[in-house]
Amino acid sequence: MNGLRALVRKELAVLFGSPMAYLTLALVGLVTALLFFDHLRVYNQILFVYTSNATGGFELGTLPERVNLQDQVFLPLMEQLTLALIGIVPLVTMRVFAEERARGTEELLLTSLLSPWQIVLGKFAATFFFIALMLTSSLVYPATSVLHAGLGVHHLAAVWLGLLSLGFTLAGVGLACSAFSSNQILAAVSAYAVAFVFYDLAWLQPFVGERAAQVLDALSLQPRFAGFAEGIVSLADLAFFAGVVAISLTLARLALDVVRVR
Amino acid sequence: MFDHGGAMYEDGSQGASRGARVEASALTRRFGRHLALDALSLSIPPGETFALLGANGAGKTTFIRLVIGYLVPSAGRVTVDGHSPDVDAQAVHARVGYVAETSRLYPDLRVRSSLRFAARIHGLSGAAADAAVDRALARFGLGGVAHRLIGNLSKGFQQRVSLAQGILHDPPLVVADEPTSGLDPLQQAEVREVFRDLAGRCTVLLCTHDLGEARALATRVGVLRQGRLVALGAPADVLGPDLSLELFRSAEVAAP
Repeated sequence: MNGLRALVRKELAVLFGSPMAYLTLALVGLVTALLFFDHLRVYNQILFVYTSNATGGFELGTLPERVNLQDQVFLPLMEQLTLALIGIVPLVTMRVFAEERARGTEELLLTSLLSPWQIVLGKFAATFFFIALMLTSSLVYPATSVLHAGLGVHHLAAVWLGLLSLGFTLAGVGLACSAFSSNQILAAVSAYAVAFVFYDLAWLQPFVGERAAQVLDALSLQPRFAGFAEGIVSLADLAFFAGVVAISLTLARLALDVVRVR
Repeated sequence: MFDHGGAMYEDGSQGASRGARVEASALTRRFGRHLALDALSLSIPPGETFALLGANGAGKTTFIRLVIGYLVPSAGRVTVDGHSPDVDAQAVHARVGYVAETSRLYPDLRVRSSLRFAARIHGLSGAAADAAVDRALARFGLGGVAHRLIGNLSKGFQQRVSLAQGILHDPPLVVADEPTSGLDPLQQAEVREVFRDLAGRCTVLLCTHDLGEARALATRVGVLRQGRLVALGAPADVLGPDLSLELFRSAEVAAP
């Protein structure tokens, strides 16, 4: 445990020793703020038009079914935040294993008293900590809309759990891709490819049978997150995300052996 | 100063007070179709400073990586104090200190943090880790740069950090891969002094293509050519004035 703690600390020191961590945190904060205020601006315009007789109200067919903070601000923001996660998380994970291999410092780790599992767990733990920090800081704006809309703290907790689950899943995929490569760009590109393909497989459904369509739906990330955004915590969705993380851990562990035998 | 005096290992065994024994038996490693190491058999007794010589691509680094367990042999076996890296990696890693080339460091870490990390992943904790780090800082003259980023240090200082990381846990076997590569003559002399100091205290497996270094430090040398051990013996016998360059000339092969 002593070595594992040291590895987690080292990973965080390396991460926060470069501008990348601060840039990422600032970028996520900025993107969340811009998206939030843009949705809020549109919501205020809708509200103004909806309540104003002078402007003539909505044109026929453009009247929204519901006008509230959840539908006009919170849910679209969450959907965009999941896409932002796909864009940002691979940038965080790409260096974690690939940089060690490219620099040759992987030899130092693999010839220490740390077991390969400890190396993988240490790197995952440090990355998950950073993702949690990033998501917590980005939750300030959604939190205000949730609380103002009267959706309650439990809804906010569900959303945070969903974002964490999705963030950890994407981080797991990114770390597994990084573990198989010594090239950071290749690691990031492969993580993007996997994340975008599995984000929503609904586009494939017209080409396959009904049963296969159900499987594709079950494997998609976006529908799994949608429930959390509505405030619904599903054990099946949590198990799905945990399963992907477990597979990613195992693949990263295998990658360390592949290096030794290839 | 680095008297490991029979350290106790996690497997309960007592480390040899004067080093570990390295045994390689028909050790073979292929990278695809390239034969990097060809049935190498070698015994390095405890306390010996053994220099492995050879041209680039001769198989020196491959041998070292097999000894420390970073690579898996294609055939044959290698053991450290009777422990095979494939079977009991922890027992081998507990006995090995690895001194890599200067580039194999974390440039974003400060010197003290890097040494502390090395101590902790080699099983030292708390006060023992702090004491080992302080000893290493003093031993390698790193006290003045303890709080500087490794990436901002000169190559000479970086190599000192690498040496300090490799031996601060007092391993019975120190494995060094071209430790003076790219250093100026003064820095090379400093590094050689460290290895002279280690002589007899532990086993040293030194990989180099510097004949002077091998002559000055090693009690025995081996010469690799295309993955085969073609010469083995005392430096004076193997590296005679006429033979040494000839050994390298005919050993020049493409790196894998």
